[in-house]
Amino acid sequence: MQDGSGRIVVQNLTKNFGQVAAVQNLSFHVEPGSVTGFLGPNGSGKTTTLRMLLGLVTPTAGYATINGQPFHRLGNPARVVGGVLEAQGFHPGRTARDHLRVYAAAMGVPDQRADEVLNLVGLGAAGGRAAGGFSLGMKQRLALATALLGDPQVLVLDEPANGLDPEGIAWLRTFLKAFAQSGRTVLISSHLLAEVEQTIDQVVIISRGQTMYYGMLDDLRKAQQSRVIVQPADPQKLAVALQEMKISNVTPTPDGKLAVVGATVQQIGDIAAQAGVALYGVQEEKADLEQMFFRLTSGQYSAPSQVQYGQPPPVPPGGYGTPPQGYQQQPPQQGYQQQPPQGYAPGTPPGGYQQPPQGYAPGTPPGGYQQQAPQPPQGWDQQQQQAPQTPPGGWGQQPSGQQPVQQSPYAPPQQPPSPPPGDHNPGGPEGGNH
Amino acid sequence: MGMLIKAEFRKILTTKMWWAMMLPALLLALGWAWGVSALITSIISDISDVDLIEEFNISFDDLSWSVIALTRSMNIATIFPLIFGTLALASELSRRTITTSFLTASTRGALLSAKAITYVVWGLLYGVVIAIGSSIGTVLGSDSGYLPDAGQWLMIVLSGILGCLLWTLFGLGVGALMGSPVGALVILLIYSLIVGPIGDLVMTGLTEGSYLAGFLPNGSANGLTGATASQVLAGQVIDLVTNAGGTVDDEGREQFEQVVRGIAGAPGALTLWLSGLLFLAWTGVFFVLGILRNRNRDIT
Repeated sequence: MQDGSGRIVVQNLTKNFGQVAAVQNLSFHVEPGSVTGFLGPNGSGKTTTLRMLLGLVTPTAGYATINGQPFHRLGNPARVVGGVLEAQGFHPGRTARDHLRVYAAAMGVPDQRADEVLNLVGLGAAGGRAAGGFSLGMKQRLALATALLGDPQVLVLDEPANGLDPEGIAWLRTFLKAFAQSGRTVLISSHLLAEVEQTIDQVVIISRGQTMYYGMLDDLRKAQQSRVIVQPADPQKLAVALQEMKISNVTPTPDGKLAVVGATVQQIGDIAAQAGVALYGVQEEKADLEQMFFRLTSGQYSAPSQVQYGQPPPVPPGGYGTPPQGYQQQPPQQGYQQQPPQGYAPGTPPGGYQQPPQGYAPGTPPGGYQQQAPQPPQGWDQQQQQAPQTPPGGWGQQPSGQQPVQQSPYAPPQQPPSPPPGDHNPGGPEGGNH
Repeated sequence: MGMLIKAEFRKILTTKMWWAMMLPALLLALGWAWGVSALITSIISDISDVDLIEEFNISFDDLSWSVIALTRSMNIATIFPLIFGTLALASELSRRTITTSFLTASTRGALLSAKAITYVVWGLLYGVVIAIGSSIGTVLGSDSGYLPDAGQWLMIVLSGILGCLLWTLFGLGVGALMGSPVGALVILLIYSLIVGPIGDLVMTGLTEGSYLAGFLPNGSANGLTGATASQVLAGQVIDLVTNAGGTVDDEGREQFEQVVRGIAGAPGALTLWLSGLLFLAWTGVFFVLGILRNRNRDIT
């Protein structure tokens, strides 16, 4: 039978629904004592993978095991693994307590366990109410209560934060961490990295049914490039100076600063000093995971854009005559809207999202990039004049070519949505009761 | 397995469905039996008064005509256990509670077996309730002279209970096979209430009294009770004829029984045992197909 290890192994897992390859050759494993995030855009195969793991969907090839066994050979599976799946059903006329008692009977745990888990997830007072009248957040809590009924060793959650209020999400974080710290295993899927970033230790990122990254979250952080935002007295001059030092990944920001990738603060400071350009501000922006996540899940689009990226710098300054027009055309297509498509492109069928990239092309002919690279004073002026006119997403001006530049627009939204887990309920899991 | 059966019973008892179907089943069986037995009583009384009948000295009054009311009322009331059975798995599939059900069962086979056993019990329970309703209705509506004796009553009631059980499982199988409660219910109700009965009648009429209809699900199900009733009545007629000094050969008996089966709502039906076996086979086919379909169904 099962080996009691609490380990989840997914090996070469593949699932085709007719012509659609939902999951392709996916492999990863989850060790006990850790929370593993399973990330990917909507439609990337997360739910299908988790359902294969839980024996609800039969794999086309490969296998998934818990405790060394496929789900149907776990014996009394609910005592080993609890699943919180998306769109899990409840009979609308059955009360929460009755719902739990049904499954308590099925897995052979005493009836009072139903009340225990109800209190645990903060539904103690709603136990006598029919599940049909529950809010989405309450249903998620009830689904979690059902998963916990058998006091399982492994917890698998598919987008559990959907419908939860901020307090509920904070509670869930604390709960899952405590659950993993007790030596048990947690696998949690999400399409939002920010949602689970503070909870998870390890991460599996998939896109279009394939593994894009699998490893420790910290390693992913380290792998991320950072960039330096410089506010020089003369951006033009500094850009040229940097260019001469082979630092070509320089992009103007809408507010007249320069974003430099591939150079340290010290290097930039030295170069600026040598060039005689005063610096009013230098700020290093640490990469955040969301960028990495977008990059990993946007394989199809990012590849060609990187090729383009290498081209702009060599173009002679003369190209600067036209930029303003290029910019004027771009704003509507750019801004923040631009980036999500980019990031999500891979998750969607190749045909559907290929258009956004094409859409950029007319607005940004090769020449369009050139503006951003070196030089002429007027070009800079124009850009600066235009900056105010561009939408808040003015950052989008650069995205067509340079991914690193996307870092900053995403950084701000990154931080706020994730308050420290302990803030809301220092009392641990019970803190979520209300 | 015991745990899963307990869970299945809780699933049923924690919602309103079971009594919301059982109550109308009881009332329909009772009312239908009452009405039909009262009607038969009045018709037979009239016929018995006809000079011709009296002249031939056939005492219609001695026959247990009310068995027809008993069988017809039980036949019609089977739609409720049918609905109940149809929703057993189909509603779990459509409400997605099947996800949790599969997650908390050792294997799918174990869950489906537990469900089958649970619904056998509930099918029998429905059968008993319906039998009680039909019996009360028959007693209320029928002239006491037309009531069957205890043995005949028991035989008809048992065949009716068996019919309820099989209809429950038949519904469970079709519901499991189709996966959509609405689709399965619409198809089954249209078949069992309209297409089946009318089709059986037309088929029997067009084929000049062949047993074609008796081979189909509805025909064989109705035959289960209808043939029991006709057997009871035919036995009594033969007794009468024999007592009057005449003889009835097998062919004559079969012809008479076929007529009575038609009156009892089962035109073209085969004999009791054949009907029972055929309906059992039909139920088995749909039940097994439905279970097999769900052993491998992807729950997405």
